[in-house]
Amino acid sequence: MTSDLYARWRYRLVPDHLVGELLAKPWIDSAIPFLILLVSVAVFGALVPNLLGIGNLGELSRTAAEYLLIGIGLSIVVMAGGIDLSIGSVFALANLAMLALGGVVGLPLWLAALCVLAIGGGIGLINGVLVGYLRLRAFLTTLVMLIVIRAVVDTLLLDYSRAITNTEIAGPVWDFLAFGDVFGASPGFLIAVALAIAAHFALTRLRPGWHILAVGGSRRAAHNAGIDVRRTICLTYVVSGILASGAGILYAARLASLGNDTGVGLEITLLTAVVLGGTSLGGGRGSIFKTFLGVVIVVIVTNSLLRLGLRSGASSLVLGLILLAAVAIDVRWLKNRAKMLARAYVSPTYFALPPLVDAAPGADTPYAMNGALAVAEPIGLGEVDGPEDVILDEDGNLYCGSRDGDILRFFAPDFKRREVYVHIGGQTLGLAFDREGSLVTCVGGMGLYKVTREREVVKLSDETNRSLLSIVDDSRMRLADDLDIAPDGRVFFSEATIRYEMHDWIVDALEGRGNGRIICYDPKTGLSRTVISGLQFPNGICMVPDGESLLFAETWGCRITRYWYGGKRRGQREVVIADLPGYPDNINRASDGSFWCGIIGMRSPAFDMAQQMPGFRRRMVARVARDEWLYPNMNTGGVIKFDLAGQVTASLWDVGGERHPQVTSMREHRGYLYLGGIFNNRIGRYRVPGADAGWTAAKSYWGPATPDGNAP
Amino acid sequence: MMAWLRRQIDGFRGSGASAATVPPMDGALRPNTALESARIVARLAGVDCLAASDGMVWASSGHEVSRIDPATGAVVLVLRFDRPVTCIAANGETLAVGQDDGSVTLMFGDGKRVIAPFAGGCLTALAFQGSGLVACTGSAEHPVGAWQRDLMQGGASGSVWEIPPEGAARQLAGGLAWPCGVALSGGQVVVAEAWRHRLVTLDGRAVLADLPGYPGRLAPAGDGWWLSVFAPRNQLTEFVLREPEFRARMLRDLRPEHWVCPTLHPARSFLEPLQGGAIRTHGIVKPWAPTRSYGLLVRLDAGFQPLASYHSRADGRFHGVTAALQIGAEVLVAAKGGDALLALGGVA
Repeated sequence: MTSDLYARWRYRLVPDHLVGELLAKPWIDSAIPFLILLVSVAVFGALVPNLLGIGNLGELSRTAAEYLLIGIGLSIVVMAGGIDLSIGSVFALANLAMLALGGVVGLPLWLAALCVLAIGGGIGLINGVLVGYLRLRAFLTTLVMLIVIRAVVDTLLLDYSRAITNTEIAGPVWDFLAFGDVFGASPGFLIAVALAIAAHFALTRLRPGWHILAVGGSRRAAHNAGIDVRRTICLTYVVSGILASGAGILYAARLASLGNDTGVGLEITLLTAVVLGGTSLGGGRGSIFKTFLGVVIVVIVTNSLLRLGLRSGASSLVLGLILLAAVAIDVRWLKNRAKMLARAYVSPTYFALPPLVDAAPGADTPYAMNGALAVAEPIGLGEVDGPEDVILDEDGNLYCGSRDGDILRFFAPDFKRREVYVHIGGQTLGLAFDREGSLVTCVGGMGLYKVTREREVVKLSDETNRSLLSIVDDSRMRLADDLDIAPDGRVFFSEATIRYEMHDWIVDALEGRGNGRIICYDPKTGLSRTVISGLQFPNGICMVPDGESLLFAETWGCRITRYWYGGKRRGQREVVIADLPGYPDNINRASDGSFWCGIIGMRSPAFDMAQQMPGFRRRMVARVARDEWLYPNMNTGGVIKFDLAGQVTASLWDVGGERHPQVTSMREHRGYLYLGGIFNNRIGRYRVPGADAGWTAAKSYWGPATPDGNAP
Repeated sequence: MMAWLRRQIDGFRGSGASAATVPPMDGALRPNTALESARIVARLAGVDCLAASDGMVWASSGHEVSRIDPATGAVVLVLRFDRPVTCIAANGETLAVGQDDGSVTLMFGDGKRVIAPFAGGCLTALAFQGSGLVACTGSAEHPVGAWQRDLMQGGASGSVWEIPPEGAARQLAGGLAWPCGVALSGGQVVVAEAWRHRLVTLDGRAVLADLPGYPGRLAPAGDGWWLSVFAPRNQLTEFVLREPEFRARMLRDLRPEHWVCPTLHPARSFLEPLQGGAIRTHGIVKPWAPTRSYGLLVRLDAGFQPLASYHSRADGRFHGVTAALQIGAEVLVAAKGGDALLALGGVA
């Protein structure tokens, strides 16, 4: 069909899923300010001649240095959930104090600068104590401080302005600070950038920085987590005061002038820069890089307006409007980002399954439904929650995972008694015993773990090599699913999808893309490497006894494939069953040399058709409530038995779906089949007619003797 | 122009006419399990329509009309027709039987009269008006059995007819979206227009709109009415109804029992579509799971406003309520999807 041909190529060529992955990145918050920066550079670059010329850039960098210093301080305050309006006055006071101390009093430059920084820090401390410890409103407190300091500056100006203007600070350092040039940028700018990098490092990598963001995100939660909220808030104001006075020093060096309007309106300018950059006024979200972007935008805009000859009032008007727009974008973005992400993340693609094989009761195929599993006797009914995989040890004890992060053990022979074998903390999805009798397990959301015979939990691997062109960080393991262990000790395990977390695993079905992979963990090196990627929800893994190949099932692909990890055919793949009528899950060995495979659900014609219509599924995800989405039919499932030639020799079903609506795992042990189900509240035990009553998986894998040397 | 723009914006955002929303079952429609726990009068496969005359209760199912004894549950097969019976009605001594070729057979004490097929023959409901009849035909394009196709194709070719005691049938209204229930109230005809989820008078005034299901037959209840809601609305169905390409392909390529559309009975096969919320978890399906079938009987007052409702929910058995019949303090309910005739007591 032509529409199908179009859909196939359209979805093969356009990587829709990248949109959602980009939106999910934290740094995407900077996208809007970056766009605004590009637009403002383009617009003003065209309007103002020589805006980005070398000479003007140097000039811009001097202004930017001062703004950036103040901006760093202000954004730290804002990120902690506060606001500091006194920065303009502190800036003016620092300018005045620097000129007075360095010129009139004649202190050495470094001492004068230290004193000025101390003055700024002191004012910040007052702010901090009032806001942090006495819990005054930040807005009012710092507004009052703005007025008070401004009054102090005005008073001092009246008394000392003549004396100050008559003396000049001299010296090479001062001149370098004022007029120096390092690779086209002012020394002040370099200092500011260095401080910005340091602040970014502190905020993202150091404990005090995390505390600031935590306090801004939620005061109460931060308090409950043991953070000293009051001190953290107080400190942010001190930092802000110090940085504002530092900017004042740079200003003093640059202009060496006093004026009534020094620093007037600076708080609005900087607030515009900070919010425009994408730091949220509500606190908890933001970064120094964003502030840097905001500062650059504001500097370009103000400078351009000045050079366009706008009167200063008009310039403030424009800045004010930009601030309003930035706040509006901030609010709307924060409100809608999650919604947008929810709509855009699920990104269906074209996928056509082979024709559906008939599995109806009485059908002339090996899949014909029956009620065999409806008589399976329950184990742990109502005591287990989601036993995705089950396994038995050589003594016949039964182990299973659960949704609440435990591995449970039911004691042989009647499985009436149980205990929590070990608490791992995530849903265990795959289980296997290694040669030493340790239980190796895949834990959804965590990775590959091992539980030793002494019940010690050891992490084997939670990361693999990151692929070159992946936007999602695919070095992390999101959904390790099933594993098996090769005779040489290497663990091959599947990661069902790299795009969804454990609780969302089934949403991956709607994508129809190969999001999963098979990873190999080598205990010799302790490293994991991705072996095959681009698989459609790889799930069950089972070693073929030849010691050089394994079988894996792709759930949404409805197929079982053999892969050679060693031997002559190393690296090759061969599809064993290509057209299952249901969705395969775990694969395990059967006593007669063939394999069992769990069927978690059945294909339905409507869903198969929807898989060929990506647009339909995309709109469905956007418009229909989650619980109402069309899914694979997971209310009927069972177990099939197949051999390496792809012949299905038997199938066991629970056609009514009362006891085992979906089977995710089955283990044969001494003539019985033990059944697990990820949505079930029981483990089933089914007597397999004609099965070898002495067969156990442990013997099949690790030989007749147990690791202790005892006969099993 | 504005309307066109509105449609484009709605289509992009999924708002307005493109919103796949369903009104909640709330107020008088709050879910309960009254139908689920009702007395089972008789098991009757495909029980569809009910009527009473002279103290006798009639039920149609498939090709047959049977007499029911509500007290004992005895079912006596009385009439068998060559074609499926699609609706029945009774009046004193006369029993009217509509068949899927559009003919109506009137049976009275000692004889019968056959009214020739008219208007495409998709007879969905009959009601006596004196000794004449009022009849609903669901569609001019599809037979009664193809109601799902009519819904999925956006059918609106149903009509209401008046059949006088003598002479030819006369059309009262047309262009209706599957009318399948009729009530004669104070000289006024009110029909249930299923695909538009409402009850309307023949001049197009909605007396009850925005139902959470597809309304079917209406039956008198003292001074009010019993409304059988034969299938629930469902967000996914509403969405599919707004997806012409998917719908066309589904109608062309899939068998009707595998369609994403309302049904009368709970899921019977693993090949039927399943919605996420309906996955069996810990051995049970949630009663509030999204479902394509449901059992709902609504009691309306004389002004057609809901007073009370009787449910069989997503996990229930008695889905697809197609008819109700009040006898004294009991109401008989035909749950076609559950193949059962139920009785709810204490409703007088």
